[in-house]
Amino acid sequence: MNWIKSFTGRSHEELREALDSDHARTSQERFNRFIGGGWIFILLLALVAVFWVSRPEQFGSAYNLTMLAVNAAILLVLSVGQTFVIISAGIDLSLGAVLVFSSVVSAQTMLWLSGEPAGTFGTTAGGWGVVAAGLAAGLVSGAAWGMLNGLLIAVARIPALIVTLGSLGMALGMAQILTGGVDVRAVPDRLVTEVGTGTLFGMPILVVIAGSVAIIAAIVLHLTRFGLHVFAVGSNAEAARRSGIRLTLRVISIYALSGMLAGLAATMSIARFSTTTINGHAMDNLSTISAVVLGGTSLFGGVGSIVGTVIGVFIPIVLLNGFVILGIPPFWQTVAMGAVLILAVWVDQLKRRTRQGS
Amino acid sequence: MVNKRSLPVLAAIATVIGLAVATPGAAADKTVALVLGVKGSPFYQALACGAQARARELGLKLTVSAPDQFAADSQIPVVNGVAATRPAVAAVVPTDMQALVEPLRQLHGRGTQVITVDQTISDVSFVQTQVLTDNAAGGRMAADAMNTLLGGKGKVLTITQPPGSAAQDAREAGFKAELKKFPGISYLGPQYQSDDPQKAAEIVTSTLSAHPDLAAVFSTNDQGAIGAITGLRQAGATGKVKVVAYDAATAEVNAMKNGSIQALIAQNPKQEGEAAMEAAAALIAGKHLGKTTLTEIVTIKGSDKAAADKYEYRANCN
Repeated sequence: MNWIKSFTGRSHEELREALDSDHARTSQERFNRFIGGGWIFILLLALVAVFWVSRPEQFGSAYNLTMLAVNAAILLVLSVGQTFVIISAGIDLSLGAVLVFSSVVSAQTMLWLSGEPAGTFGTTAGGWGVVAAGLAAGLVSGAAWGMLNGLLIAVARIPALIVTLGSLGMALGMAQILTGGVDVRAVPDRLVTEVGTGTLFGMPILVVIAGSVAIIAAIVLHLTRFGLHVFAVGSNAEAARRSGIRLTLRVISIYALSGMLAGLAATMSIARFSTTTINGHAMDNLSTISAVVLGGTSLFGGVGSIVGTVIGVFIPIVLLNGFVILGIPPFWQTVAMGAVLILAVWVDQLKRRTRQGS
Repeated sequence: MVNKRSLPVLAAIATVIGLAVATPGAAADKTVALVLGVKGSPFYQALACGAQARARELGLKLTVSAPDQFAADSQIPVVNGVAATRPAVAAVVPTDMQALVEPLRQLHGRGTQVITVDQTISDVSFVQTQVLTDNAAGGRMAADAMNTLLGGKGKVLTITQPPGSAAQDAREAGFKAELKKFPGISYLGPQYQSDDPQKAAEIVTSTLSAHPDLAAVFSTNDQGAIGAITGLRQAGATGKVKVVAYDAATAEVNAMKNGSIQALIAQNPKQEGEAAMEAAAALIAGKHLGKTTLTEIVTIKGSDKAAADKYEYRANCN
């Protein structure tokens, strides 16, 4: 799939043409690419089928299926950002810490606006205006961390792994400084009851938000110029630069997007847990990376899809849920999840190799 | 989408998972779920061991699960999975006093009776009973032990978690309150570490630079204690500066046997697990329980090796 390398030095128009011709391949191939090597989707269906058949009234209950979706929602929003970053051949380890930082900023903004003292416990009576301000604060602080990441990567030329590892520590540390290490425990009641546990036509609001984010992101990634540039930057940055893509700006905007989605996830997290979770989200970065890779996105950049990421997010969540329901001992769950990750990516590699060889 | 090569792999996965699936439990009214605070902690393993042994005796059908981290975002999916199985009783170690309220309320709403173990939550209106230890009392016991060790005078430092953990906050508060009874002891106040022995060691060595006459250290958990004795060893002050520590992890018990720790305030996780199962059995039998079920804490003096062995947190079930 590193076809774009052969276009080094061509003009922007030629690059676009090349991309368009790729889009016009057989429908079978397009479908393959769309779901990121459909094997993963089959695996997800197989898992669901096995758990469903063995415990139909428990795994298949409306309650459980709803809970699966709610548990996936926040991780999905983070993983969508990670998908853009990884397709552009980068990596973002700071996602979970940026989420924590943004949730602190967002919660403190809402607490301050609702006029309650800092140590308040429980819920406050803040209205929708307060919630909107909190959301905005979360989005802005998340985007700011993302822009800082992007600047350091694109301008200072520090490897993304190091930059985001550094900003992971900085964001987490700043969150602890802002709060003195104590979670902000008071958030608007409205945010918790109407967003955190509320539903729209029977769908949990958190799931509606995550679904909308995924759909919009898929459109942006696969159908807009920005999305095309993300693929181009990840396939061959030098080629992208020579064909007229403003590389620095693109890289900064990709990381800012990822940071902003972490800010959105932060507000969703406050709505869901009704508190900031400073000690949580430690593994979010690795969870999102494994979800993105399970979904068929290449860690080397240039290949990937949002649909694949959605499937990749659900696999570990369905596994954990199924294992808990079946009562499989906790340590075996850890082993099984690791094995499934490796197995899934390995089979996906086999699929790719046979496809490229044919 | 599935080519011939991937079919056998799929079939293999299906078979493996299929084999792992146990037959559904028979008596639905005897099912109990235990959700621990985190995987792989000797304390919670010991708690699970106590619960499993007692559940067998009481004829309960117990399943144990645990999250990867001691954090709400990691634990809630596990609690949701348990809720889907609709056990008669669920005993949960809540990892956050606020974030777990809603998931536990849902669990209750689906007809499961909820018990909290070891930790608690901010709204206990729907919780049948809370199996707890009295952490403030544990802090007071530590202060008393400290007073005996120091003969009533000297400078004392506390190493604890950053504020926010209710249990550890209560231990420090109890310790501080009881120390006021002993006018000869001057309290230097708490220093914070987050389950990080390295940090605890640094705190101890730098406090020794500032206060060379430091007489004793109180650690509110095992990680702080391990760090404190490392720091003292580094500074050549082992035994000169006394250490009183919460918990009875294997490392702490060993340190007490070789004289680096002078007293331990031990909880009894096995008993907590047993108490949780007894409460579950009582609830299934339709009995009513008090809002709290306290389990024991004991002071173990350095000379009492038998007690140290008895209370050591052991992860193996026997």
